Amino acid sequence: MKRALISLLAAAALITPARPAAAETVIVCAPHSPITALTRNEAEQLYLGRTRKLAGGIAVTPVDLPAGAARDHFYRQLTGKNPGQIRAYWSRLVFTGRALPPPEAASAAEALAWLDANPDFIAYLPAQEVATRNVRVLLRLP
Amino acid sequence: MSALRIVCALLLALATSLPGVATAGEPAALALSGFATLGAVSSDRKDVWFTRYGVNFPGDSDPDFSPDSLIGLQASLALGPSSDVTLQVLSSETGANNYDPRVTLGFFRQTLAPGLAVRVGRLRVPFFMLSDSLYINYANPWVRPPVEVYSLNPFNDLDGIDALYHARFGATDLELHPYYGSGRIPFPDGKARLRETWGMNMVVTHGDFALHLGHGDGRFSLQRGDVQFQRFAAALQGAGLGGVVEDLSGTRGKTAFDSVGLQWDDGTWQVVGEYARRRANRYVVSAHGWYVSAGRRYGALTPYLVFARQHLERPMARLPATAPEPLPTVWEAFLRSRNNAQRSLTAGLRWDVARNAALKGELSHARPDRDAWGSYFPRSDPLGTRVGGRAINTLSVSVDVTF
Repeated sequence: MKRALISLLAAAALITPARPAAAETVIVCAPHSPITALTRNEAEQLYLGRTRKLAGGIAVTPVDLPAGAARDHFYRQLTGKNPGQIRAYWSRLVFTGRALPPPEAASAAEALAWLDANPDFIAYLPAQEVATRNVRVLLRLP
Repeated sequence: MSALRIVCALLLALATSLPGVATAGEPAALALSGFATLGAVSSDRKDVWFTRYGVNFPGDSDPDFSPDSLIGLQASLALGPSSDVTLQVLSSETGANNYDPRVTLGFFRQTLAPGLAVRVGRLRVPFFMLSDSLYINYANPWVRPPVEVYSLNPFNDLDGIDALYHARFGATDLELHPYYGSGRIPFPDGKARLRETWGMNMVVTHGDFALHLGHGDGRFSLQRGDVQFQRFAAALQGAGLGGVVEDLSGTRGKTAFDSVGLQWDDGTWQVVGEYARRRANRYVVSAHGWYVSAGRRYGALTPYLVFARQHLERPMARLPATAPEPLPTVWEAFLRSRNNAQRSLTAGLRWDVARNAALKGELSHARPDRDAWGSYFPRSDPLGTRVGGRAINTLSVSVDVTF
């Protein structure tokens, strides 16, 4: 028990905090999507699970990237919350059934595949990831 | 109840039989997740147990793992773009001294309009600011929400209906949460029920600030069946004081609950304060409590301090001055055991050891009021052990995970 605790503490000490990326993030959808515009306010409401529809009545499903620097950076840019705050916020939302978490793509490539197949999906990606892709950029987060 | 269990078992069977993997180009419609806490508690006074009244059963080992340890599993299935079902099963020690898994959420939700959803089934009753994350210790800064406030209402489940309405005005978010239903909690040789309970919750969020206001009203029944109470009731009846017994156990209670809370979290400092008040016309005491907590994040470490207080307002009944001995003595002991008034100062440290895992340790210096047991329970000899008026130091250590 004691040894297990010590190795747990040692493992925790080895985890270094992820370096925040300074890059621009964009929120995108498929080119054939009915979503043509997205305000920063709407993006924040969608990614904080407060709504699932835009004012025009369009249902939108936001997509998450896997846990990591790109995701942490995006939430900081959009909501100003640090990763710990976001995790606490979402665990509160999810485990009260208040909101379903955004479906989590395994990679940027999978997120883009999901957009292609689901016109009502939006995803955030580092700007350089979408430079050569056929997507509609809805919002840029510096 | 059994019908709900069957429905939930079917849902769970359905959920677990569905492959969790997505077809190409589609995310999984089913979301499976869970949360768990392993917590140990020990006090420096070896004649009492630390107890969360209505939540766990007074311990039988030291350190005691029963106040905080729990595991919960949840499945959510999206039925379409605007409806879903959620099932959550929790195992933790109950006031009836068992770990039987119980359904803590089991509802169908329909989104009616942007920002407006209705849920039907087993819900969480939002009496407190942090009712939502009551079991999700990972989402709370402390080992557990301060007992001086959160013991005021041990009812957590609501079988009924609620609505969640969210609107944004400029940079301010408003959430309205009306609810209606009933609930129950188990304890040995008795049962407690809330019926025809309705209420309204409001949360206003603006930047780093969140304000919570809540009010609930309900009919309340508490049926005590333990041997000591039966004897006490028989003695009261024998003395011609049957009217007093009717205020101690029965089905004709009314209760009202109010709470107000504030949170401020700028990413570095985390300040939380809450006040809650319970009023009841019989069966349980009327009391109020509050706490103020402040923590500061240093990377993965968050040290915090909490000051908390619960006051007794009114006992559940009064014994006429004409009652013959030993009734007044037994009466005083009975009231003491039902009075959770105390003050405490807690210093703790949260360490986010990994994504979705937190290690916490806290030391509480508590003093139950002279005429109260506070959040403690005598290990033996309930009449002879003096609990109130003493300082009791309690150490709690826990690991919280979500997955």
